[in-house]
Formats: sequence, C-alpha cells, structure tokens
Amino acid sequence: MTDGLDALTVIFTEFYYWITVVLMFLIHVGFCMYEVGASRYKHHQHTLMKNTMLIPLVTVTWFFFGWWIYWAFPTGPGIAPSIMTESSGLILGGGFGANDVANPMSSIMAINLNDHINGVFWAAFLLFSWTAASIVSGAIIERITTFAFGILAIAIGSVFWTIDAAWGWHFDGWMVKLLGYHDAYASGVIHAVAGGFALGVLAVLGPRIGKFSSSGEPRNIGPRNPWLVSIGLFLIYTGFWGFYAACNIPIFDLGPEYGMEGVTFYTATNIYITPTTLSGVTMNFLMSLAGGLLAGYWISKGDPFWTYSSGLAGIITASAGNDLYHPIQSMIIASIGVWVAYKMHYWVERKFKIDDAVGAVAVHGYAGVVGLVICGFVLWGYPSSGYGDAYAAINPMGMIIGAVIMFGVLGFLPGWILAKILHASGKLRIPRAVELAGLDYNIMEAAKKDEKAVSSAGR
Amino acid sequence: MATLTNWVEHLTTDVDPATDGIQVAGEIYPMVGTEGWLLLIGIIFWLAWHFATGSGEAEEQSKLAKKSPGPNAHKSNIPEW
Repeated sequence: MTDGLDALTVIFTEFYYWITVVLMFLIHVGFCMYEVGASRYKHHQHTLMKNTMLIPLVTVTWFFFGWWIYWAFPTGPGIAPSIMTESSGLILGGGFGANDVANPMSSIMAINLNDHINGVFWAAFLLFSWTAASIVSGAIIERITTFAFGILAIAIGSVFWTIDAAWGWHFDGWMVKLLGYHDAYASGVIHAVAGGFALGVLAVLGPRIGKFSSSGEPRNIGPRNPWLVSIGLFLIYTGFWGFYAACNIPIFDLGPEYGMEGVTFYTATNIYITPTTLSGVTMNFLMSLAGGLLAGYWISKGDPFWTYSSGLAGIITASAGNDLYHPIQSMIIASIGVWVAYKMHYWVERKFKIDDAVGAVAVHGYAGVVGLVICGFVLWGYPSSGYGDAYAAINPMGMIIGAVIMFGVLGFLPGWILAKILHASGKLRIPRAVELAGLDYNIMEAAKKDEKAVSSAGR
Repeated sequence: MATLTNWVEHLTTDVDPATDGIQVAGEIYPMVGTEGWLLLIGIIFWLAWHFATGSGEAEEQSKLAKKSPGPNAHKSNIPEW
C-alpha cells in the first residue's frame, strides 16, 4: 500500500471484516445459552461443553483444510470450468486458487505485511462454520457423545458446508454458472445444509428417552429455562447482523471488474460481486425479522419458544434474496417460510419420530429450503453474476435443484452416513443408564461432596 | 529465531525492485520456513486430542452406566446454596 486512497480502502475492508467477526461471536454465545436453556438440569454442563468445544475443533480444522476446500472446489471439480483458470479441475493457482490464499503452509496464512485481508476473510468464514456446526448441536442434545459430536461438527463445519459454499457461494462456483443459483445471505449454504445434516444425524441417533409414548405420541420436553432461551435468541439475532455484514464486500469498484472501460462505480457487493446497498439490506433484515415474528406468534398462538425461533426462521427464509428484495417482499417471504417450517416440524416429528430438541431442522433446514425455492420465482430472470454469458440467470428450477443439493446431497446424506458409521462403531449415543441419570451426574455428585465438606467445616 | 532485527531496515529494503514502490518481505513471524513442521505439529495435537478425550469420555460413561443411579438420583445432588 503506497497510495493513500488504496490504503484507506484496504484498511477499511480489513477493519470491516474484523468487526463482523466480533459481532458473529454473539451468535455462538446465543446458541450456547439457547441450548442450555432448552436442556434439562441434569444435562446442562455437558450440553454447554459440547457446543463450546466445536469452537476449537472447527477452528483448527478450518485452518488445516476447510479454507483450502473453499478456494479449490468451485469447479466441482469436473463440472464447470473456472473463469480464472479456464480448467474444470481443482483451482489451485491463478491468483485466487487454494494454494495462493489458503495453503496452511503458506506465509499468507499468518501475519504478512503484504496482505491485510486473507486473515479476516478466513475468520469471517470460520464464524459461518461455527454457526453451521452449532445448528446441528442444538438438535441432538442430551443423548449424543461429545466424541461423536466433535467428528460431526468438523464434518459439517470444515468440509460439507465449505464444499457447498465453493459450489454456490463463490463468484466462480459451478452452481452459480450452470443453475443460476443465488443465495446472498446463505438460506441454503449455511442453514439448509446444516438443517439437512442435523436431520440425517437425528434419523440414526433416535429420540430422547421418554420423548414418545408407547403409542408413538410425541411428548413436549419444553425449554427448562425460557429466559436463557429468549436471551440466547436475541443474541443470535444480534450476531446475525455481523453475519449479514460479513456476506458483503463493503467497497468495490465494479467498473474495471466487469471490464467497463473508463467506468468507475464504487458500491457494496454481495459474495457474488454483484451490487447491493448495505442500507437496503438493513431494511430487508428487519422486515424479514418482523415477518417471522408476526407469523410465529400467530401460528404458535403466542408460544414464546416458537415466536422467537420464528423471527430467526423469517430472516433465514428471506436471506437468499435479501440483497435484491423489496422490504415488504422480505416480510411476506419470511412469513411463508415460518408457516411451512412450523407445520413441517410437527408433521415430521409425528410421522418419522424425529426428536429435534430445539426445532433446528425446521428453523434452519425447512425455512432455508423454502427461501431458496421462493427466491427462484421472485428473482426469476435476474443475472446471477456480472461476469458475462457463462452464467445462467436466476430461475426456479435452478434454485429447486440447488435446494436439493444443499439440504439433501451435502446435508442429509453425509449426516446420515457419518452417524451410521459412528453408530456401528458404538460411538454415537451415550449409554441408556447415563442418559437417565444425566450426563452431569458425576460432576453434580462431586459438587455435593464438596458442598457438604465446606458447609460442615469449622475453619 | 528472529526473522527481523531492525524495523527501519526491514521496511526500507526493496525485495522486488521490478514492482512499483518498496516491496518489503511480508513474513515477520519467527522461524519463517518452518510452516510445514508447524502444520504437522498442529495436526498431531488435534488428532491426539480426539483420542485422549474420546477414550476418557467412554471410560467415564461406562463406569456411570454400571453404577446406574436412575433417573431421579440427580435430584439429591443439587447443592444447597
């Protein structure tokens, strides 16, 4: 950086992403509070530690290989050629190849005076990875081993969501080119994939003891601490602002980028490097939150747990197209997503005996899928990219196929297969007696002994 | 160990004269060139963690399962504050 304006742009961008990471940390604080609030007293501490330990596990694996996968896999490989290398093999070089920006043995993956962006961009994506793993965490509380969850968290957080991001959330991704896939704020690439993955795991893991009666009727194991749940969800809303911010490039000159001679057009862009405004996106975020809350309160007859969750589901539904929608469109789309997610949750629970403890599959998975499908119709005909004719326009069929890839192919299927492998090796589920006694039994027993010793002490 | 010992010298040494402006050596962390070994250590540490905590968890749960305290036993374990 030798020019003042250039330096200002770079340092602003660096600081912008740095702030998004700080804000997104609140998503994880919220998820921890929410999960503990939804769990029963005898499982509290293990529930907290399970979710907390995904932070280091996904972080180190994101450094080792997750970030590399994102930059290497946009072509499939073998599905559509890269606009950078013109090859459909793994993208390893060419300026933005995996080995240029994400090789963990490269000096760019450290403090490097010649680069101010890679680390904060890596971190912003890492926080998305935590979110993906945390979505799965809530659904499977009180009966999975921490070991199994660690493996599953790495799989969704550092492998499968990053493959879908390379395919459908990258300016060079094959899904953007061939399907016209558009998912600006990750209805599919984070939420649908994580929801699908959670459903795959749940199908193998089975319900908590007592969730279903002998006749198969589901019983409500409601949140044990509604205050923790509500504050947790408020924090997730707050962190979601950082999530939205991190999905944008805050300042970009599209003139030279699109090959428009003599044109200078500075704007914020989405992840596909097509223009939007942070101002308009802010309206859409709030209107979709409002639409979700209104619909959730209505359909659940004022149930606080579902009303709060529906605010989140509303944002998730509208997220795919929130870079372009009108605010009232966002509100309506959010309401539709909440209605479908709520109905689907109870239908799947009864029909397939799926015990999703926090409604994560509904709020993230079903709402995300609905958001993708609606986006295909509402944004039908919009260009998916500014990089020319190699890219299909946004269309309903492309978005429906995209939803199947996100929820089913990269979500449900890997979750189900990995859970089957863990189940076959006896590592998936805790012993029945432990589930009945409570995962925290030993910790509580030790605390009781300490308490007795302290209270009877004379000095 | 130290990659650089003098900031002024470091920030005024042009390592790529073909490029406009002064191009400094970007890497300033200790032991430049050992990134592959650092990665190997990191991966070993990560995998060792899984083995150590996984076997510990299985052992603890197996002991508790044998004891089988029952679904209401935890209620007597809540400390009085």
